[in-house]
Amino acid sequence: MSQGRFVAKRTLQGVGVVWGVVTIVFLLRFITPGSAINAVAPLDATQETREAIARELGLSKPLYVQYGEYLFDLVQGNMGFSYIRGQEVTSLVFSKVPATVELAVAATVVAIVLSIPLGVVSATRRNQPVDWLATLFSLAGISTPNFWLGIMMILVLAVQLGIFQTSGRAVAGVTVLTSLVGPRSFLDTLVLWLQHITLPAIALGTYFTALITRLTRSGMLDELGKPYVRAARAKGLPETLVRYKRTLIGGAVITEAVFSWPGLGTLVIRSINLRDWPVLQGSLIVIGTSFVLVNIVVDVVYAYLDPRVVNE
Amino acid sequence: MTDGHEDGVSRRKYLTAAGTAAAAAFAGCAGDTGEAGATESPTEAGGDEDTPTEESMDTETETEAEESTETEASDEFSVTVTMGQMDSGLDPQDHAETNTNIIVSQGYEGLMDRDKQGGIVAALATDWERVEPGVARFTLREGVNFHNGDPLTAEDVAYSIRRIFFNDVGIASPQKNDLGAIDSVEPGDGEVTVNFQGLNPIVFQLFATNGEIVQKSWIQSNGSDFINSNINGTGPFRLTEYDSGNQVSFERNTEYWGEVPEVTDATLNASSESSTRVNRLLAEESEIVTNVPPQEVSRVEGSDVASINPVPSTRIIFLQMRYDVEPFSNQQFRQALNYAVDVPSIVENVLNGFGSVTGQPTLEQFTGYNPDVEPYPHDPAQAEQLVEESGFAGAEITLETPIGRYLKDVEVAQAAASQIDSLSNVSCEVRQREFSSLVQDLTTGNIEDKPNFNLLGWGNGEFDGAQTIIPLLTSQGSLTILKNDEVDSMIEEAQNEPDPDAREDILQETNALLHDLAPWVFMHQQFSVYGVANDVSWQPRPDEFIDIDTASPN
Repeated sequence: MSQGRFVAKRTLQGVGVVWGVVTIVFLLRFITPGSAINAVAPLDATQETREAIARELGLSKPLYVQYGEYLFDLVQGNMGFSYIRGQEVTSLVFSKVPATVELAVAATVVAIVLSIPLGVVSATRRNQPVDWLATLFSLAGISTPNFWLGIMMILVLAVQLGIFQTSGRAVAGVTVLTSLVGPRSFLDTLVLWLQHITLPAIALGTYFTALITRLTRSGMLDELGKPYVRAARAKGLPETLVRYKRTLIGGAVITEAVFSWPGLGTLVIRSINLRDWPVLQGSLIVIGTSFVLVNIVVDVVYAYLDPRVVNE
Repeated sequence: MTDGHEDGVSRRKYLTAAGTAAAAAFAGCAGDTGEAGATESPTEAGGDEDTPTEESMDTETETEAEESTETEASDEFSVTVTMGQMDSGLDPQDHAETNTNIIVSQGYEGLMDRDKQGGIVAALATDWERVEPGVARFTLREGVNFHNGDPLTAEDVAYSIRRIFFNDVGIASPQKNDLGAIDSVEPGDGEVTVNFQGLNPIVFQLFATNGEIVQKSWIQSNGSDFINSNINGTGPFRLTEYDSGNQVSFERNTEYWGEVPEVTDATLNASSESSTRVNRLLAEESEIVTNVPPQEVSRVEGSDVASINPVPSTRIIFLQMRYDVEPFSNQQFRQALNYAVDVPSIVENVLNGFGSVTGQPTLEQFTGYNPDVEPYPHDPAQAEQLVEESGFAGAEITLETPIGRYLKDVEVAQAAASQIDSLSNVSCEVRQREFSSLVQDLTTGNIEDKPNFNLLGWGNGEFDGAQTIIPLLTSQGSLTILKNDEVDSMIEEAQNEPDPDAREDILQETNALLHDLAPWVFMHQQFSVYGVANDVSWQPRPDEFIDIDTASPN
């Protein structure tokens, strides 16, 4: 199989997966208890009011018509309208993406910056106290739920010591950059940004720090021992990457909730509480699609680096 | 950004500076993330700074905000409020949610308002009268301007009322029933006349709680997206920044017709985690936080920066029993359950004292409360005897309860059920239900779909007993579990009685009757428990509205 065919195949599979996600997400509405009408209407609303709201929400049409219309709008980039919030879903969902991406990037940076030196040190001083400490750290990091770590850090570092903010996102990362030329003071903006993002980034990044530390350590040990093993080890990398991506997205939802971080995760939870289906569907589709996209990119890059994959 | 850090706690400032150094030292975190951030800047700028649709308006207000902050920098007083959830959009007439109401009502006002005790006070109307049984006339305040500078007109008021009631005026408002059944609205010279279908005996209670006034031309010339992300009201605060789902910022309206607030900047944000709200309060990031749960109370009381401020709310919690199924169809059985449940002990032990015991559907602060009706005493022996007399000894019943909808709802239900279960001749277990699925069963309009026995809470912002009894306990009520001709006819009489005193008498009698009929196990009046920073003086209101304009520095 040529590289081109491989890319095409992966892309087609990706489209299939996204379509599956869209369909499942659409059907979820009908197997989940609680109607959107009850989220909008007061408890004592008359039947007449309920019916009027149902019409506004588009709930009075047959299922296949709703599904067809939804797919048709979706391929045009229109995720519908949230009557509960009175907003276009597409712009609402995409307005939350930067906050989540920012948190994920910060967590990744924390993970990489901490884990690689740790792993290297741990491998070069194998079976010495430094190595044991690093191994203990990895074990603790992998075993600690990130919401618990988040709550503990808030209690100690934000409430008790007042070093960081307990929750929220006061400025966007990009504002820090624009403040270099803009009206805000660069240092103040940076401080404000760091006060908000540091704890959630650590909470989300700890698991990966531990994961990559272990990976780096074993990689280093192999390299130090038998150089030819490296090629074989490389096969393990995509599995770790997949694990990394999955947990990053799942972890981000929980971490966002603990820190009231206004990203996609918070939007998902809020939409579930409000039974705001258009927004929930939109968010899940964006999350699912980005996941598929990242996978395709990783696969393609991997195929480029190691052409044998193409023929498997 | 209004972070509300106007106090001078030096320890915090030092540590904050130290923390920055620590954070920056986090192995080059700043530099690396900065670079990564640059690649996403195009989307970021579009998504987080200004939503394109709001851009034109926001730029304008932000400039104004900056100017006013400069001139008033000397007496700056910022208040940040953290609630459980954010708004579902800023259209004041297209929601039925407390949190949304708290946010939009910083900027929008109704014809009348309520004071700290729930009493009716004038707002955009200076006077109101019932000119005929089903006709109410409101005299409008002169010299009131919307935030965009345009004067308030009778046409705006009439349009606002119509937009709430009539589905063909813009939206199908979930507040449709909140003002009574309206026939027509007539704007006049400095006054507005509303004609109702029927008497509408509590018209002024309804207008004191509901009916935010919007500007007709502003609503008609803007789309739903814009109306839901901007505010153009007459209220004490003007919107400066709307960050959907994250926070909403206001500055005081220096042109306000009433007393201009001492609060210069107000920010409202939310966290669904109660511990996060308390953390924000203790870290001095928020001045007012809502719904501090009993287990967090001591943490707040033990701190030197904030304290607990409880207020009886307008919400009553009860266990309702369907009149049409055995054993609940039997009055003695229903009374027996009332004797079996030890409500004072539940209030004391489960709710940390944040509740008061009830014995009728109407709360003490409401019109129609009967002061002569005592709550059922805790008397298990009496309960067992009544169960025997009812002929349902050995009954096995299930109490359904929502999870996390009301303060400690599951724990309250479990305590009540175990007290009932400890009777020798009744066994009772608890079934936990997700609230929206329980609501689904309660609101079908068909009594057969409803649970036989379930815990429910009912908020009544109108402070009128009939507003609880009609939907829940009359045979026409949309959520009723009772069909009793005597109750129906008494309520009908009350709703057609123009004399307020005579009406109150009828409602008091109805409450005495309902106590004896015992369609509910009468539980408690829920308290709203706020955490308030010590450097802010603010009293909560029973109707759960947070009137930031009444806060002052301590």
